[in-house]
Amino acid sequence: MARGRAAGLRAALAGSLAALALPLGALVPAHAGERCVEDDAGATVCLDEPAERIVALSPGAVELLFAAGAGDRVAAAVSHADYPPEAAELPRVGSYDRLDMEAILAQRPDLVVGWSSGNPSNQLERLDALEVPLYRSEPRELSDIPATLERLGRLAGTAEAAARAAADFRAEVDELAATYADREPVRVFYQIWADPVMTVNDEQIISESIRVCGGENVFGDLERLTPRLDEEAVLAADPEAIVSGGMGEADDSWLDAWRRYDSLQAVRAGNLFFVPPSTLQRPTPRLLEGTAELCRKLEQARR
Amino acid sequence: MRRLAPPLLILAAVAMAALALAVGIGSVPIPPAALWAVLTGSGEPLHQTLVLELRAPRALAALAVGGLLAVAGALMQVLLRNPLADPYVLGLSGGAAVGALAAMLLGLGSALVSGAAFAGALLSTLLVFGLAHGTGSWTPTRLLLTGVVVASGWSALVTFMLAVGPTRQLPGMLYWLMGDLAYARSPWWALAALAAAVAVAVPLGRSLNVLARGPLQAAALGVAVRPLEWGIYVAASVLTAVAVTTAGSIGFVGLVVPHMLRLVLGNDQRLILPAAALAGGALLTLADVLARTLIAPEQLPVGVITAMLGVPLFLYLLHRSRG
Repeated sequence: MARGRAAGLRAALAGSLAALALPLGALVPAHAGERCVEDDAGATVCLDEPAERIVALSPGAVELLFAAGAGDRVAAAVSHADYPPEAAELPRVGSYDRLDMEAILAQRPDLVVGWSSGNPSNQLERLDALEVPLYRSEPRELSDIPATLERLGRLAGTAEAAARAAADFRAEVDELAATYADREPVRVFYQIWADPVMTVNDEQIISESIRVCGGENVFGDLERLTPRLDEEAVLAADPEAIVSGGMGEADDSWLDAWRRYDSLQAVRAGNLFFVPPSTLQRPTPRLLEGTAELCRKLEQARR
Repeated sequence: MRRLAPPLLILAAVAMAALALAVGIGSVPIPPAALWAVLTGSGEPLHQTLVLELRAPRALAALAVGGLLAVAGALMQVLLRNPLADPYVLGLSGGAAVGALAAMLLGLGSALVSGAAFAGALLSTLLVFGLAHGTGSWTPTRLLLTGVVVASGWSALVTFMLAVGPTRQLPGMLYWLMGDLAYARSPWWALAALAAAVAVAVPLGRSLNVLARGPLQAAALGVAVRPLEWGIYVAASVLTAVAVTTAGSIGFVGLVVPHMLRLVLGNDQRLILPAAALAGGALLTLADVLARTLIAPEQLPVGVITAMLGVPLFLYLLHRSRG
């Protein structure tokens, strides 16, 4: 929560700075390439003026925009964008997997932040065709998060606030890695879903958090990004710690299913841990909270 | 022809009204005066985009796809002489679904997804044609069985792809399977196919009427049964392929609209086929308006609405026809 408030404050500060800068900016002719960034799909997104009416097409994009100091420039978002709390008040433009194109256009957006792998590709293509400036976001690594903050801050004219947030994020990840990454490795099974049992491989961002904490994903070598498993596979891998999300932010019932397997090292040592899924499963600055929590749990497992 | 005109005029009026509704209603309210301004070539840029870029193409696509599915369904029911026949019964939608889902898994853009769906539909058509043609005599039963088994094969492949597909892509894949006019890009191919089909099929209506009573009778009355049957099969397949390529596999319209019309208008193909084109189009257009606006800005798959509108209507007609 403290981070949320800080981000809100930063957003407010950046907003008032931008309001002061605007009349001056209008006198200076726009230089081509000045407000251009490359998005995660490799396309170049250019704006003449800082974006003031941004529509965010995923809950993660909303969090990234608020963290980049552009919270007061977000005009609308998809449903389930619930963080930071101010985002819950935003007008809605459908859900991330079924966008209401009319509602998006009605916001007269000067920037849309899309989600390449989550939004329907035909609807994103339609936005392109209608010449709505579109930034396609797809953070796949921890380092993509500060980079995205900087790029969104540039587009929204909140580059300073975004640069501070990005620097904070990098410094804190480095600090966690310096503290934990080289400690005695803990073999971890991270469960993202219970029915069917699903985990992540080493290419997924959660595995990077596990590595930062000095853990080792027992299913990291599997080929698919989010493999489906049977319970036998978990018994065979015999992890030292089991970490799961759940259906809610405080629902650790998925862990109960493992307690009956005394043969598991994780069960015998009592290393069944819950980390609120929204802090570890959304590629946003809150991943830092989740990673810090994960590091503390794995440290517990080492004792 | 005087007997045929009134029902078709009424249905045409309903279809036009459905189109007008679809252009006028959306999650952004546009006052009638502003709407008129857009239609006469002026109006606000936002309203122009909403009406001309989003609503009108989608409404026309709904009209065309609904019409295509209903005509294809009516043809399949004549061909197979089976009331449960619909455009998808011979596995065509399964083939299209395998093509589309495979393209989605490969991360291809929506134009290629449509192309892959069309290729899958044609592949399935040729496969069923080749297998049912085989050696010796063929009957509608043989065609039906071949189609149903091929459809099961496709459906296994679809389930497999859903099982191995990345979690994030699942919603998109499921929506494609349910059918969704948000995928519709350009309505012109579908409208052209519909117009061509009706123009070709209506003059053949008399032969189709005879065929519907049975192949022996048709042969006795001088109808070239075999070529006519294969013609129907190919025509229905192409119509369905165009429909599925435009909007995914929307269910229900192709099965129930021809039956509804038969209950009201009788089983004369010269009337049923054009009536199916209009009624199917109107039903799907109205359903899509509801799907877009019922819980806006959230969007529903149109297949839910076609069934919710169509099931009570069909049951009412069935009940009425008894008494």
